[in-house]
Amino acid sequence: MSPTPDSNTNFSSAPLLEVCGLQLDFLKDGQALRAVDDVSFELKAGESICLVGESGCGKSVTALSVARLVPSPPARYVGGQIRVNGKNVFEMSPKELQQIRGGVVSYIFQEPGASLNPVFRVGDQILESLKLHRPASATREEVVQLLKLVGIPAPEARIHDYPHQLSGGMQQRIMIAMALASHPRLLIADEPTTALDVTIQAQIIELLKDLRQRIGMSLLLITHNFGIVGDLADRVVVMYAGQIVELAASATLLARPLHPYTRALMNSVPKLGGESDRLTAIPGNVPNLGSFPKGCRFHPRCPKARAECSESVPELREVEPGHWVRCPFWMS
Amino acid sequence: MKLLEVRDLKVHFPIRQGLFSLVRQHVKAVDGVSLQVEAGETVGLVGESGCGKTTLGRAIIRLLEPTHGHIVFDGQDITHLEGEELRRKRRQFQMIFQDPYGSLNPRMTVGEIIGEAIDIHRLAASASARQERIEQLLKQVGLDPAHAMRYPHEFSGGQRQRIGIARALAVEPRLIVCDEPVSALDVSVQAQVINLLQDLQRQLGMAYLFVAHDLAVVEHISQRVLVMYLGRVVEGGPSKSLIRDPQHPYTQALISAVPEVDPASKKRRIILTGDVPSPIQPPSGCPFHPRCPVAVSRCSQEVPPLRETSPGHWTACHLVPALETPQS
Repeated sequence: MSPTPDSNTNFSSAPLLEVCGLQLDFLKDGQALRAVDDVSFELKAGESICLVGESGCGKSVTALSVARLVPSPPARYVGGQIRVNGKNVFEMSPKELQQIRGGVVSYIFQEPGASLNPVFRVGDQILESLKLHRPASATREEVVQLLKLVGIPAPEARIHDYPHQLSGGMQQRIMIAMALASHPRLLIADEPTTALDVTIQAQIIELLKDLRQRIGMSLLLITHNFGIVGDLADRVVVMYAGQIVELAASATLLARPLHPYTRALMNSVPKLGGESDRLTAIPGNVPNLGSFPKGCRFHPRCPKARAECSESVPELREVEPGHWVRCPFWMS
Repeated sequence: MKLLEVRDLKVHFPIRQGLFSLVRQHVKAVDGVSLQVEAGETVGLVGESGCGKTTLGRAIIRLLEPTHGHIVFDGQDITHLEGEELRRKRRQFQMIFQDPYGSLNPRMTVGEIIGEAIDIHRLAASASARQERIEQLLKQVGLDPAHAMRYPHEFSGGQRQRIGIARALAVEPRLIVCDEPVSALDVSVQAQVINLLQDLQRQLGMAYLFVAHDLAVVEHISQRVLVMYLGRVVEGGPSKSLIRDPQHPYTQALISAVPEVDPASKKRRIILTGDVPSPIQPPSGCPFHPRCPVAVSRCSQEVPPLRETSPGHWTACHLVPALETPQS
């Protein structure tokens, strides 16, 4: 039997979320394609972590795995553990999982429009998520309170609206309200502002910051925008082709990125008010699932690659306290 | 040399309602825009979704019918050109689309996609000249000429966007309207495509009207930038001065909203309340006044004209003093 924490354990000292050596395959045409390869990190209560990476790096699948939301098959968990409040989600009963989902861990996604049911009024949808956790005591007043919390003007009127009557920014606020309905300890936001305009994005970022302060919620945020990292994250996890390539405190990483991929990614984005005449592009493409290169997975695109980079996969090493890098040549 | 001049362009879409499908209202997607593009220059067009930037770009190359105003291309008024005449003129202005997946016909090979443009404008004297041109174009956009036989699905997003660029280049246009050409691409691939567009401009000298919502990308690629809000241009000027010294309150809010990578340079963020209003019934006066942090009563009554507020820099705001012009 696996060790289960007894009910008297004080959770606040233990991490809220521990991802340990997570390995996940997708089965496609009888082949197992490794999508997440040995990903480990932990998130303390109240902390905010950003997962950064491009499409196909495994960041969304990692985040969805926290509440076992990746359907299996096609996914297959090959190894590792994810512990929420010290308890491995892979050993939970369906009932326990149900309590975790929404109760401890809530999600918001990139396209709020696609995540809301178009044929129900938004108030009813939020009420439904409240009732899932507290069938007896959920009330319409609470829904109005939640909408106030996420800054929706005239919430008494808005609860009667259908999703299509609201703008993208308002829809995302509804999603956040729904995610907060059962007071989760951890909010997982998968590119919550990518589909939104920059002025609306700023509103949502401020809202998330404010909510963290007011209700002390932890945040696991997926993004590819380093600007958002600087705004919201305590620590950053950079992923490439299914692996963590760098992990550090966000201020440290933004000031001094050590992995060639992190550096290249940050340099390839034009900066507002910047001077450069030409962008430093990263050659080639993000590798597809199943065709990850041998050795270091970034080596074919790396400006500093050496012969040995194509031979063995470098280890993720702590090169400075709290700063982990998967590149033996980070110093050069 | 002035390549494109747009004067007071309006594009209104009718909304039909009721039993007899009567036109009850209009969506004023573009509501009185004037702009100029010089030969070989890049003009950026920024604004949030629904501001009319894509509609404006499409109307300029006559993919949408303008309701009012004039489009003058290379000295010729093309606002009402039709049929064969329009098709001939179209050789000079092309478009690159946002979605590299939806804008290439999945049943045609890359060679056929590019060759189609050459055929329509009869640009190749022989089959071998056509083939040579296709290979040359593929090389120009950084693709392997041997890939002309492949289908779009065999390429990545960035490569597909290169195919779209090659198709636009096939007819040797003098203006390319680029509608969000990199926003669907991975961050690491965006820079490749931006660099390619810049290299091609240096070699071939065409002008770009670069429509995008990413301010940093627009600033990087453009010499001049126009900021649109609710169908109107609210500010325009050289890109560096517009980003460093924005004068319109909307532009200021837009720039301050961009999250900054450097945590040390915490700038004051102006958070706008509310959303962009509906272009069906835009607010009276200045379209931005309901969200404007500094609006005064005049802003809700009078539409501010676009005036030169510093040399080469135009702003449509009552509160920004116009440049003193010498009395003649």
